[in-house]
Amino acid sequence: MSEPLLSVSNLEGGYGQIQVLRGFDFEVAEGEIVVILGANGAGKTTTLRAISGMIERSGSVKLNGEELITTRPADIVHKGVAHVPQGRGTLPELSVEDNLRVGAYIRKDNEVDSDMEQWFEVYPVLRERRNQRAGSLSGGEQQMLAVSRALMSRPKLLLLDEPSLGLAPLIVQDLFARFAQINKETGTTMLVVEQNAQLALGIADRGYVLESGDISFDGQADDLMSDDKIRKAYLGV
Amino acid sequence: MELLLARIFDGLSNGSTYAMIALALVLIFKATTLINFAQGEFAMFGGFIVLVLTFEQGIPMWISVVLAMFLTAVAAAGIERTLIRPFDPSDHLPLVIITLGLFLLVNAIAGIIWRFDPRAFPELFPSGNVFTIGNATLRWYTVFTVITLLVTVALLTLLLNKTKVGLAFRAVSSNLESSQLVGIRVGPTLQFGWAIAAAVGTLGCAVFVADPFRQIQPNVMLTVLIYASAAAALGGLDSLGGAIVGGISIGMVQSVVVPYSPIPNELALAAAVIVLMVVLLFKPSGLFGTAAVERV
Amino acid sequence: MANASATDAPSGPRWVFIKGSSQYRTYKLIGIAVLVLLLFITAFAYNDTASITLLDNDYKLGLTRITKAIAFMVAILGLQVVVGFTGQLSLGQGFFFGLGAYISAYLVQDKPLFGWNYFTALLVVVPVCFLVGMAFGLPALRIKGLYLALVTLGLAAIFPSLVQLESVAKYTNGAGGKIVDYDFKAPEWLPLDGIANFLQGIPLIGQYFGDGDLSSKEEGRIWLFFLMVILCWICVKLVSNLIQSRPGRALRAVRDNETSAAVSGMNLSYHKTMSFGVASALGGVGGVIYVAELGIAAPLDFTQLISIFFIVGLVVGGVGTLSGAIIGGLVIAFLPDWASSTQNLPVIPERWLQGPTGPLVMGFLLILLTFVLPGGIIAGVRRWRARFVQVVPEPPAKLAAQMAALAEGGAPAAEADDAATSETDVTATTVAAGDEPSS
Repeated sequence: MSEPLLSVSNLEGGYGQIQVLRGFDFEVAEGEIVVILGANGAGKTTTLRAISGMIERSGSVKLNGEELITTRPADIVHKGVAHVPQGRGTLPELSVEDNLRVGAYIRKDNEVDSDMEQWFEVYPVLRERRNQRAGSLSGGEQQMLAVSRALMSRPKLLLLDEPSLGLAPLIVQDLFARFAQINKETGTTMLVVEQNAQLALGIADRGYVLESGDISFDGQADDLMSDDKIRKAYLGV
Repeated sequence: MELLLARIFDGLSNGSTYAMIALALVLIFKATTLINFAQGEFAMFGGFIVLVLTFEQGIPMWISVVLAMFLTAVAAAGIERTLIRPFDPSDHLPLVIITLGLFLLVNAIAGIIWRFDPRAFPELFPSGNVFTIGNATLRWYTVFTVITLLVTVALLTLLLNKTKVGLAFRAVSSNLESSQLVGIRVGPTLQFGWAIAAAVGTLGCAVFVADPFRQIQPNVMLTVLIYASAAAALGGLDSLGGAIVGGISIGMVQSVVVPYSPIPNELALAAAVIVLMVVLLFKPSGLFGTAAVERV
Repeated sequence: MANASATDAPSGPRWVFIKGSSQYRTYKLIGIAVLVLLLFITAFAYNDTASITLLDNDYKLGLTRITKAIAFMVAILGLQVVVGFTGQLSLGQGFFFGLGAYISAYLVQDKPLFGWNYFTALLVVVPVCFLVGMAFGLPALRIKGLYLALVTLGLAAIFPSLVQLESVAKYTNGAGGKIVDYDFKAPEWLPLDGIANFLQGIPLIGQYFGDGDLSSKEEGRIWLFFLMVILCWICVKLVSNLIQSRPGRALRAVRDNETSAAVSGMNLSYHKTMSFGVASALGGVGGVIYVAELGIAAPLDFTQLISIFFIVGLVVGGVGTLSGAIIGGLVIAFLPDWASSTQNLPVIPERWLQGPTGPLVMGFLLILLTFVLPGGIIAGVRRWRARFVQVVPEPPAKLAAQMAALAEGGAPAAEADDAATSETDVTATTVAAGDEPSS
């Protein structure tokens, strides 16, 4: 069994005095879609921020065997991690096109423009608004932009923090379908943090459930979906 | 009528300098929300470097200017790395104090090296007049000052919009965290901002003292800084275009509005302070600024 | 509650005092006595222009300079109020300093309406500076950001031109500065000669206190010094009360925290503006002391430079501390002067010791301290003192009884408490129950 793309062990981290993550392990194999579920405050967002280096953290985070626990955020991106934060993280003053271009910041090849064209094909509304300020886009459009931007860097690992937040159900359906498609077509590994467990488990291979900073369950997505406890707690059954 | 015209010409040439220093202030503010109170002194020091290179080393003046711009840029980059970067960018107080320390330090160093007697500065622009209408004279100096401003703005716009580092700078100015998440190394990007700001400042000072009626001495930029800050606030502290409009406007206020107002000419600076207060009262984000101004 | 008794920890401070205990009161009294003694020694020893000579350089000391330092202390106290309550920096304290100086100079010299002295002049200076401060502070303090610094920078820059205007020259005497003929005469009943003679009689050190009786000029200087010490002390007390007042604490608690500010229900901009008014008034008071000492109010004494020097004093002394203002005032009064007096240093050629060496040193200090000692000299002093002395808050009555029982066996239990809370800390954002600051 080859080494997992992402291998996390004894992850601890938090904000100043408040230690949110209590030291847990998990891994993500290449090409997988893994979902992290949990209630508000469980530490899902904090986990992603620990991986992408945005907060103080300790333990071990290995990407393709390379230890990233002390690496700075910008350098982690250079290693092939792209993080779409909660709230999209678009650069509101910059144009849609500039947002996409800056997504490819770490790339040194000359296929950036053609990649951008591809994304315009996938999301024609971005092409329409290519010269508009990104801040003027609707929530759904910003999410499309954020995802496209993240993928412009051709990452090995895509971190998605609550992509469904604040979006209308139809848009969210489309969004998740798109994630599944991207994963199938490009093999981009994805780690998705979501409160909408149903949708997330629908496209995922495996899932972890985070409670109070620690992993309480994990398993194959289908198993989680049919597990009674999960259904009661997270699927509103 | 001619007097008005003469005053307008004065306003244009002064305003161009204010605009350039305002540009420097805005560049740093955009990226860091910090006001570099030492900006004027950096510019003054750059001006002296031009003087030294031209008169003492015999280097042709415009090459000295470019060289001085480069040297001050490097120095500013060094200052950012050593004195600014160690601090948490959201905690303004220590950073403002550092810029105040630099204000004193740079001014004092210039005073110790070059003393305070005013010195003649190379005439960067052709002397003489474009035309004269009665008592109103449009000097070539004025025309070229404005041209320099426009060229600076054009180059700056190109730099920011068409280059990768410019893109990084705009990204950092927009949202620091999101910029890190796309792999932009914030430190070097801010260094770049400080360097460009210093270079623009040096050019602004050089143009200011190239006026045949002016001379350079270490305190020359003290009042310019205040006019420039009022200009930057008027235009919008995070708007480069606003800096231009603000600069020219303040220049006009100083030369055209004050003579016709109850404010005595020696107190023209007070007019700039009044403009600043008015901006703060009615439109704190300035004419073109986008900075969301938070009420207390 | 930590139960480590002070005697159990050999590396702890040697003396632990519980606030309110008689030991603590004794400790405080000794401190005050030492301070008063120092004041007397200073007044009588440095009465004349004394100087120290180091490496061929002549460094002046002297009571007049120390009285000037008191003026600066009060101005810096004002800055402490601004920073402590608004979180913003004022670069224009020199404006209010100069305003107070000129107003009092005019009143005392020209005596409009009736004969003013420096202290009755305060009755005009304080409200005027307060109101002007509020007027300029209000637009800037309504908004988050460095706007106060910008506005005050402009204020500081225009002050010299303002007082040299034709229209006010008859009051200000323009560029030459306004000279005030006022002699401070020590009251007859003060036994100043007696004290001087006594000090001169002390073996070994008596020679430093001069010779024989004091001239009336010297007596006047000492009298002025003590008057200003009292004035300064009053200002410190006032600020200390302000800090402990309800609006004061509330302001400090929400100063940097947006969320608490939003839900606090306090009219923040009003209170911040009032704080700036107080700060400006203190600046004015400093100006009055300055003119009382110097005897002249001149435009070039009140430029941007002095405003920035006040900041240096603030930072070097220690931002957010009252005692920091004392140190800061001394630094501004002596350091620039000593820097320019330094004409001879072993390695450095004389050429480089001429010119604005004062601002050079001040600027360098400002930067150095921000890195090395952000809390200023006071922070350093406190840390050093914490090795020897620790002050502990009074435990509630129930526990006191329990401890009295335990006290059979050893020293009372000490709750770790920062020695810093024994002095009023303006920048403290937590105003917890056990944190009662005393001045």
